[in-house]
Amino acid sequence: MDARKSSILIGFVVVASLLIIVLGLLPGAKMLSLESVLRVLWAPDGQIDSILVWTLRLPRSLAASIAGAGLAVSGYLLQALTRNPLADPGITGVTAGAIAPIVGCSVLLPWLSSAYYPFVGLAGGLAAASVTFWVSRGGNGRPLHLALGGVSISLFLNAITIYVLLLAGPQSTALLFWLSGGFQGRTWSHVIHMLPWAIVGVAGALLLHRVIAMFSLSDHAAAGMGLQRNVWKPILLVLGTCPVAGVAPVAGPVAFVGLAAPHIARLLKPRGAVWEIALTAAIGALIVTCADLIGRTIAIPKELPVGIITALLGGPIFIYLIQRGRLDFKGQGA
Amino acid sequence: MTAGSQALRRPTPWLLPTAVLLVFLSFAAAVFLGVVDIPASDIAAVLTGDGSPEARSIILDIRLPRIATGILAGIQFAVAGFLLQTITRNPLADPSLMGVSQGATLTVTVFLLFTVYIFNPGSNTVAELPIAWLPAAAMVGGMTAGGLIYLLAFKLDLSPLRITLCGIAIGAVLHALAIGLIAGWGSARIEIILEWLSGSLYARTWEHALFLLPFTMAGLVVLPLIYRPLVLLQFDAPVARSFGVSYRKQFSVALLVSCALAASAVGAVGPIVFVGLIVPHLARFLARRHFPIVLPLTVVLGAVIVTLCDLIGRLVGRAEEVPIGVVTAIVGVPVLLALLRNAP
Repeated sequence: MDARKSSILIGFVVVASLLIIVLGLLPGAKMLSLESVLRVLWAPDGQIDSILVWTLRLPRSLAASIAGAGLAVSGYLLQALTRNPLADPGITGVTAGAIAPIVGCSVLLPWLSSAYYPFVGLAGGLAAASVTFWVSRGGNGRPLHLALGGVSISLFLNAITIYVLLLAGPQSTALLFWLSGGFQGRTWSHVIHMLPWAIVGVAGALLLHRVIAMFSLSDHAAAGMGLQRNVWKPILLVLGTCPVAGVAPVAGPVAFVGLAAPHIARLLKPRGAVWEIALTAAIGALIVTCADLIGRTIAIPKELPVGIITALLGGPIFIYLIQRGRLDFKGQGA
Repeated sequence: MTAGSQALRRPTPWLLPTAVLLVFLSFAAAVFLGVVDIPASDIAAVLTGDGSPEARSIILDIRLPRIATGILAGIQFAVAGFLLQTITRNPLADPSLMGVSQGATLTVTVFLLFTVYIFNPGSNTVAELPIAWLPAAAMVGGMTAGGLIYLLAFKLDLSPLRITLCGIAIGAVLHALAIGLIAGWGSARIEIILEWLSGSLYARTWEHALFLLPFTMAGLVVLPLIYRPLVLLQFDAPVARSFGVSYRKQFSVALLVSCALAASAVGAVGPIVFVGLIVPHLARFLARRHFPIVLPLTVVLGAVIVTLCDLIGRLVGRAEEVPIGVVTAIVGVPVLLALLRNAP
């Protein structure tokens, strides 16, 4: 596919995301008309509609799309890094690694400002991912092996997380709500806290697209092109973990986006790594924004957390990919 | 006896006796040690039908039922893991990796949350929860997850290794659903669900042990019957067929047995992680892959490890005890990492 078609494709996905965001401003406890939403978007007037849109619904939708873009690119980076089509923040243990220490801090070190949580999440996510990658070098780096390592570490961290919740007592309700993954009541400050981390991941991936593309080559070919794996590996791992570290304190775990979005982007066959990354980010944003919209409209006035929606959508996609043999990566050290 | 197993070295003859001795030692330690210090002479008196009323109630109503429940659950998790590892040809399969535990967890959560709404609207008291029904609820979910695995295996015609991956996906989805439900509808019951969810033997009674007993017995009776075909499941379907074994039939039977064992255990004690994964491994390692010994050793070690991990959790936390699921996770992860790291 040439560059023009690729850019049209991305334009299409971005427009679709924007449309979903605008449409997502309509439903809620008070239904708004499209006309009034567009009016207050253009000129906020401090009336009830304007407050609803600008302080409740818009930041929430933006938070969802930023989180989606970040998680999708995180999955893309982890898949490229490990040459393993199953890699995603959930399966490699990055998400559980970010979540567990954040839960621990909020219960055991309540004086720690939540502004530090992304750093805590980054450290935990990096540690968990490092252990998974170290472990998956056994078994010749087969995809199954990486998945087993990551899922086992996640099981371990989940057991610890639930124990900490048990110790937390009454506080556990709020933490559990966060653990089910969602954007209910997220405000502009959440958006601002999350944004730099997502930008680091997405912009870093776009800047380094040549390096990332080289990672998909065989070891010999990559070395012949001058790729220093051992230098770039930790850099890409940090880049891939940053969005998760930013998203986790705000939205909790949002499963399967990092896995599904890159695969969907690849199915559309854009031209070259840079377009693929941009498309991945756009599709990730679209998926999470849609999931959030579904979650808060399907059972008004109750809300379903977005994590449940993405899990319900992502699980079947995952099984479909496995069944179609798309996750086998033959001949690339699989 | 297959020809292959004779080529392997024989295990040391004292292996099984040592293991049985270990059972008695861990059992004795679990009876004699605890948060409340009781002199050994008093405990001996209780065990011979004598002793003070306090000692009697602590030993007979608290420690012994708890140990019995733990032993039965440990055996069930270990055997369930052994069966799953055999049929998926994946040495690291486990009820909690294949989604069986998560399925059981989800239905138990639903049950805990909604029985109160159905039977006693407006009431939040824990005492009214029908605990005795939990294992039955867990069976529904665990067997459903098993049914999904069966469909994936035979409708989609997946290879055993791909079935493991699908099991991981199913587990992730069911876990997300359970957490979402607890967050959305948990309210006053959150604490009791969390405690159960972390895998705990706290306050288990004879009722729990009696519930598990028939499952353990049934499993132990069925196992010798499906034992020899199981060996052949390690080969491809055509090879198994040439030995007169239907791959599909053996897969289904082993899956059914392992789901029933794992689900009932989850219902009684919560999802205790890593036991089903590590015990069969340890058994294979100790038995030097000598197949006839692996299974009895799995049964024995399942009982020992759960008893010891629970004892550790009781002693470490003293009054605020650490749930056994946390202890098995902490003990299990280094073992698992070493196994994965050194895999061929």
